[in-house]
Amino acid sequence: MSLNPTLPRFAVLQLSGCAGCEVSLINASEWVEKYQLVYMPLVVSTHAVPEDTEILLVSGGVRNDEDVWNLRHAAEIVDRVIAVGTCAISGGVANLGDRDDVRAMFMSQASRHHVPHLLPKSHPIDAFVDVDLYLPGCPPTPELFMGALTGPENFEASSIVCQECGRKKLKDMRPTHLVGFQQGEVLPDICLINQGYLCVGSSTRGGCRAICTRPGHPCVGCRGPSNAYIEKESSVWFDRVQKVFENMTDIPPEEIREALHSPQLSMFLFQFTDYQGGDRPPRPKEKVL
Amino acid sequence: MTTLRFPLSRIEGHARVEMEVQDGKVVSAQFQAIEMRGFRYFMLGTPAEQMPVIVPRICGVCSTAHHVASVKALEDIFEVEPPKLAKEIRELLLLGQLIQNQATSLFIFTMPDRVGASSIFHMDESEADPEQQLSLAQRALKVRQAGTNLITLAGGQFIHPIKAIIGGVTSGIKPEPAQKMLAEMEALLPVVCTLFDEYWEMSLKMKERIGTWGDDQPAYYIASTGRTGLELNSDMIRILGPNGTERASFPPRQFRTYLDYQDTEYSYAGQTSYQGEVMRANSLARINLANATGTPLADEYMQKLTHAFGKPAHPILLFDLCRGIELVYAFERAIEMLSQDLEYEDPSLPYALKDGEGFGLVEAPRGPLIHHYTVKEGLITDAEFIIPTTHNMLAIERALKVAGDRYVTPEGINLELEKAVGRVVRAFDPCIACATQ
Ligand code: SF4
Ligand code: SF4
Repeated sequence: MSLNPTLPRFAVLQLSGCAGCEVSLINASEWVEKYQLVYMPLVVSTHAVPEDTEILLVSGGVRNDEDVWNLRHAAEIVDRVIAVGTCAISGGVANLGDRDDVRAMFMSQASRHHVPHLLPKSHPIDAFVDVDLYLPGCPPTPELFMGALTGPENFEASSIVCQECGRKKLKDMRPTHLVGFQQGEVLPDICLINQGYLCVGSSTRGGCRAICTRPGHPCVGCRGPSNAYIEKESSVWFDRVQKVFENMTDIPPEEIREALHSPQLSMFLFQFTDYQGGDRPPRPKEKVL
Repeated sequence: MTTLRFPLSRIEGHARVEMEVQDGKVVSAQFQAIEMRGFRYFMLGTPAEQMPVIVPRICGVCSTAHHVASVKALEDIFEVEPPKLAKEIRELLLLGQLIQNQATSLFIFTMPDRVGASSIFHMDESEADPEQQLSLAQRALKVRQAGTNLITLAGGQFIHPIKAIIGGVTSGIKPEPAQKMLAEMEALLPVVCTLFDEYWEMSLKMKERIGTWGDDQPAYYIASTGRTGLELNSDMIRILGPNGTERASFPPRQFRTYLDYQDTEYSYAGQTSYQGEVMRANSLARINLANATGTPLADEYMQKLTHAFGKPAHPILLFDLCRGIELVYAFERAIEMLSQDLEYEDPSLPYALKDGEGFGLVEAPRGPLIHHYTVKEGLITDAEFIIPTTHNMLAIERALKVAGDRYVTPEGINLELEKAVGRVVRAFDPCIACATQ
């Protein structure tokens, strides 16, 4: 909280998101000693990104015409742009609305006055500006935020969530269906796949410390694919998860395939590959924390 | 006609205020929510069981409330009653949310208004004693952090929790982390009280300076907490009339009989009224609707408030003081709960999918939140989110108009108006991501 003018200056631009990313950043308050926060409407009453800002964190997707303007304008000012959270990287949860009936609803609002005009869909920010670092997670944990601010070289993480989870994979416990929570009890210490949950931690990038799977909820992949799959099409990632289930369970492959395309996973599973941005090149793994 | 446009900061989400002024008089005040993502549309067709993971993303500030409301709506449909332990863990989750939210609103959103700083992270720049400001900010952030630690303990993830599931919760809380959390909260409780006392003092000083606690007329109040305790996980909503008599009490299933909803052209958020009357939700509503909070220190503060302002109390800056009372309550209640065994039974029950219509109610920090779903063959065919902030929309606009009338005169517009707009809006602590979804 000391206002040392020599500290690097950073701003947080909130586009259309849920503010969860900002809340996580507030919790990572160690930056207070090392950085100066110059703009973040959630907590600071300033109304524009100041001219001498160095680092820009962008959260939320590009959902309306004001988002486009604010993003372009802010990115011009700064030296370095970091896309934080799934929304900024892929459009995030709002991307579940990328289908005809919902697009039509958005377009029907286009003639309204006073309010910013909605675009037909939520866009990732790199559809409009160059991004220097991607920080996936919904939201990224406070620890990941610190990693992004201080530089990826100072951050250590396992390559996949399973390595951070600590649950044991058993050879002789093979479910025949994806039973999920209907069965009523989650056993401690045993891999969630053995128990018939659809967990995609086996190919999701680590770094979150497996905060969902350790207390007993399957990983929904919010950190996106691990480096092994990140530059490939999302079908490669799906195939990989499918293989893990075929090796560890007796669940019919169609059942797994269908479940992998469910909304709660597709919020996240597309974020680095087939996101609906058209012909953009894959994001290089060196640029992803 | 002149249009004054005020951008807003230190609130959740994107909103602004527009006032039309003619001949030195405020003709209208609009509170405009200027974002929307469309959850109620794109959730259609989603497998019902995935709702509790997706809907917290409506809002990273109120995520816990959405998570629990969603699970309750589905339990209503699938006719499963969670075990007692699960209800306790969920209450702890909601308490964590209340702590996090009220501490954020008090210290991050509104305290800077009281000391003349642009943010809690810039408190040492304000005119008052920098050392004292800095210590205030550090203590405030610690208190807020305890709320997020509690959510993490009870909910797994602190922003988008995952532990509440249909039929219960994924796991109880082990003695060792419970003890650690308990120790943290016990150590912080006196800090919370001191901070709140300081905040109260600052508010008194601010009142001296601006000459008002927010001079709006009386209103109706809506909350789902109890008469003798602030339970956050109840199943009834109550309405209080401006003179303090209870006007209605109903389960979420009947909300349409009592609440009228309308859309507006100038905002992506709608507005609700109690049968046409302006009402208020959030801290002041809960405190007005309760005779006691249910914990000793919070009750003392409640009496102090009633003594000073009567009951029901109406001035809008009292919303902020009521948040302080609730912060104390949430600490005390969580301490009580963490002192007990939180692993004494299986925390979840099996269930089977069913078609039907269900309602899930929780008292979110901003007021009663209802999730209303229809499920057919395991899929969501209708989803409605009845958001507390929309209950406050008419009240916010009325209070803005009152503030406008105070500072706009035929002689000119007092520069204090911009600050007043911020103070009014922050008193209601609106959440735009929720209100628009
Ligand atoms: S990435 Fe997740 S946490 Fe961040 S703004 Fe989007 S929905 Fe919220
Ligand atoms: S366990 Fe999976 S879903 Fe949970 S935070 Fe980690 S990557 Fe995201």
